[in-house]
Amino acid sequence: MRRIPWLWAAALAAYAFLYLPLAVVVLFSFNDSALNASWVGFTTAWYGKLLSDPAMLQAAGNSLFIAAVSSTAATVLGTMAGISMQRWRPRFLPFLVLTPVAMPEILLGVSLLLFFRQVLDLTLGLFSILIAHITFSIGFVAIIVRARLAGMDESIFEAARDLGASPWRGFVRVTLPLILPAIAAGFLMSFTLSIDDFVITFFVAGVGVTTLPLQIYSMIKVAVTPEVNAVSSLLMALTLTLIALAARFAPETLKGSR
Amino acid sequence: MKTLVAALFLAFSLLARAEDVLHLYIWNNYISDATAARFEAWCGCRLKQDYYSDNEEMLAKLEAGAVGYDLLVPTGNAVQTLIRKGELKPLDPSRLPHFANIDPAYLTPWYDPGNRYSVPYAYTVTLIGYNATRLQELGLPTDTWALIFEPRYLEKLKGRVTVLNSARELMAAAMRYLGHSVQDTDPKKWQAARDLILRAKPYWATFSNSTYIKDLAIGNIWVAHGYSNDMFRAREDAKDARRPFAIGFAIPKEGAVLAVDNFVIHKSSPRPDLAHRFMDFMLQGENAADVSNLIGAGNPNAAARPHIRPEVAREAAIFPTAADLKRLEMLRDLEPKERRLLSRLWTEIKVK
Amino acid sequence: MRAPTSPARAPERLTRWLVTLPPTLFLVVFFLVPAVIMAAASFRQPGEFGGLAPLAQGGLGLEAYRFVFEDVIYAWILAKSFAVAGLTTALCLLLAYPLALLIARSPRRRRNLLVLLVILPFASNLLIRVYAWIIILGPLNLLYSPVAVIAGMVYVHLPFMILPLYTNLEKHDPALLEAAQDLGAGTWTRFRRVTLPLSLPGILSGSALVFIPVLGMFAIPELLGGTGDLLIGNLIKEQFLDNRDWPLGATLSLLLTVAVLAVAAITAGFARRRKEAP
Repeated sequence: MRRIPWLWAAALAAYAFLYLPLAVVVLFSFNDSALNASWVGFTTAWYGKLLSDPAMLQAAGNSLFIAAVSSTAATVLGTMAGISMQRWRPRFLPFLVLTPVAMPEILLGVSLLLFFRQVLDLTLGLFSILIAHITFSIGFVAIIVRARLAGMDESIFEAARDLGASPWRGFVRVTLPLILPAIAAGFLMSFTLSIDDFVITFFVAGVGVTTLPLQIYSMIKVAVTPEVNAVSSLLMALTLTLIALAARFAPETLKGSR
Repeated sequence: MKTLVAALFLAFSLLARAEDVLHLYIWNNYISDATAARFEAWCGCRLKQDYYSDNEEMLAKLEAGAVGYDLLVPTGNAVQTLIRKGELKPLDPSRLPHFANIDPAYLTPWYDPGNRYSVPYAYTVTLIGYNATRLQELGLPTDTWALIFEPRYLEKLKGRVTVLNSARELMAAAMRYLGHSVQDTDPKKWQAARDLILRAKPYWATFSNSTYIKDLAIGNIWVAHGYSNDMFRAREDAKDARRPFAIGFAIPKEGAVLAVDNFVIHKSSPRPDLAHRFMDFMLQGENAADVSNLIGAGNPNAAARPHIRPEVAREAAIFPTAADLKRLEMLRDLEPKERRLLSRLWTEIKVK
Repeated sequence: MRAPTSPARAPERLTRWLVTLPPTLFLVVFFLVPAVIMAAASFRQPGEFGGLAPLAQGGLGLEAYRFVFEDVIYAWILAKSFAVAGLTTALCLLLAYPLALLIARSPRRRRNLLVLLVILPFASNLLIRVYAWIIILGPLNLLYSPVAVIAGMVYVHLPFMILPLYTNLEKHDPALLEAAQDLGAGTWTRFRRVTLPLSLPGILSGSALVFIPVLGMFAIPELLGGTGDLLIGNLIKEQFLDNRDWPLGATLSLLLTVAVLAVAAITAGFARRRKEAP
């Protein structure tokens, strides 16, 4: 089967489709033309400009902070949800966990906006972005953790308990090491989901809190200089690093969530 | 990794707290980097900008509870909305010694009698930007809305025209072309405008609010419905990149929409003191001139005139002549019922 | 697994609550309540300056619903959005299947690398991916066309199809294919009779993960689409950020959710019937 040439051809075409635009982005980050419509000449000036652009760096800092905090919280809550769903089969929780994943992003953003505005009378800002990102990330973590637990022998936990381990000790000694790869995977996934999110953040962001995707959007609208490509390329490098970390610490993440 | 991120964030927030910060919520591309830097140096504070590309975007954000902006830069009708909604802080004239620089023609506008809340900053006209080289080759006129509405012209321009992605602006252009006021809300006339738009739509490339700047400069698009300052920018970009054509822009002879944008102080402003300092700085002639010289917007500041480059001051599409001014109108707010009808027509325009 | 021996001992019950309650509470507060409020907003009146009119003044009513249902145009745009989502899903499936199959049949050592290559662009920024298409399609004269919208949609969602497909295909027992080969089945027959039916659950979950997000997308039609490429996501966004008509936005959002849930339920039912079949 592996030798069938059309399979290779079709697969290579799919890879090319995936990578052609990324190659364009990286290549044009070195383009010596502010208009950036066609290739003019090689320069690294845009990276220099990027590094001395406080608005862009602030946006990047915000994005990293939001991603770090929201994915940590989502990982804790998502892991709890995943364990609970697998062990006690609560009726309501799976609905709560899975619907935000299945729901179009725009609905989530709008409904949170209405909620913050109408009920909490909350000032939009960093906090509202964090809450929104945690909400849409929990489901992904829960699904991964649950999938991991589902493949495991329940007798291990029984044994730990029969040996008199308290639930907490049983968790720390037995469950946690076993699901650690899934937890790490969930964290990295929420991290990239958060750092990537535009639609929901677009609705819930407050004054002075610009994230990288929002900043890029405002640049795409007005001045699409190769600086956008430069920041995109750096973001991809960051993603690559994260994936490399995931591959190192949790190889089975790469097999997908189910 | 996490510690690093936390440290980074701490550094950023300390940096922000170490000095005075003025939060400005302003249109994309409406204050030049040079002006902003000069103000920061002069005032010893930091100017932090958030951007919007439409008044409605800004109003929706405020409605959703956004607070903490010191200054906003709404257009006339939005100033009126904000005043009626009680969203603004009155100005303190004693802190604006340079207010007298404003041309009397722009004082006490209908949306803010007596200028209790607003300081006029700049004005733009919604007009037609075009690739002058191409249009000359094709033998097409440049000073009429017919260019974007009449199939006999559009046939030569198919796929090379963009119009604003804004129900109000596009309908206003169509209403003027049909000989009506942009203020007219008669459903029959609106329907006629919709029909005009639907007839022309197959020839347009897309509805675009700001990508047309780049598309004009590159040469993808030959005719764009948009704001005069954006066309100015497209023209400069094309010049800088030495494109083999020239960009021009003109006010259609049927008349168009004039937008006067103003500085106002939001009621939640944490630093009204800095806001006043900023406004007074921007009222000084040389600083006020920047928005014309660098952004290409019209200027309501009389003291700025001597500082404006002559070639910009001569530009009739940036500084309309008295005759042109008579054909320019400002948009006014719609009632909720009218908005729903307009939205219905707009959806139809987009879907059909 | 419910422990077969399980005497619901006190610590066990306590643990259960300690573990279940925090995520449940969080999601009830920050997901369920907002979702319910959005449903309620659809019955209210638009405020004069945007937002919602005060209840005392506007009251509740079905006006927004009447407005939507009186008019085929909204049903039409919903149908069109579903068509775009369907086409995107189909194209994703066509592109993803060979790739997923190839990865699944590769030597184990190489699989992780190949999957990694799939997720790398998936984890890069959405706008960057769309922006790259602007650069590519511009010179081809394809920008601002339905083709551009579909290309952007397929590109952005492709990994959501590849991953579930791959996880499914990877589990297949090679012995089944060998058995089929021994029985004299050709390549195509083996694919059609063995691989394809076995991979149906993967196809279904991948399709759901592509179909649903496409429906809510507004950035791609806005940046890549032409004059006729408005989708339901754009329409909803306009009600909130352009037209000061939050109730109409809420109504459209709600109708979209119901439609999506209906599709999900149908898909789940289909999958269940498949699973029950031997």
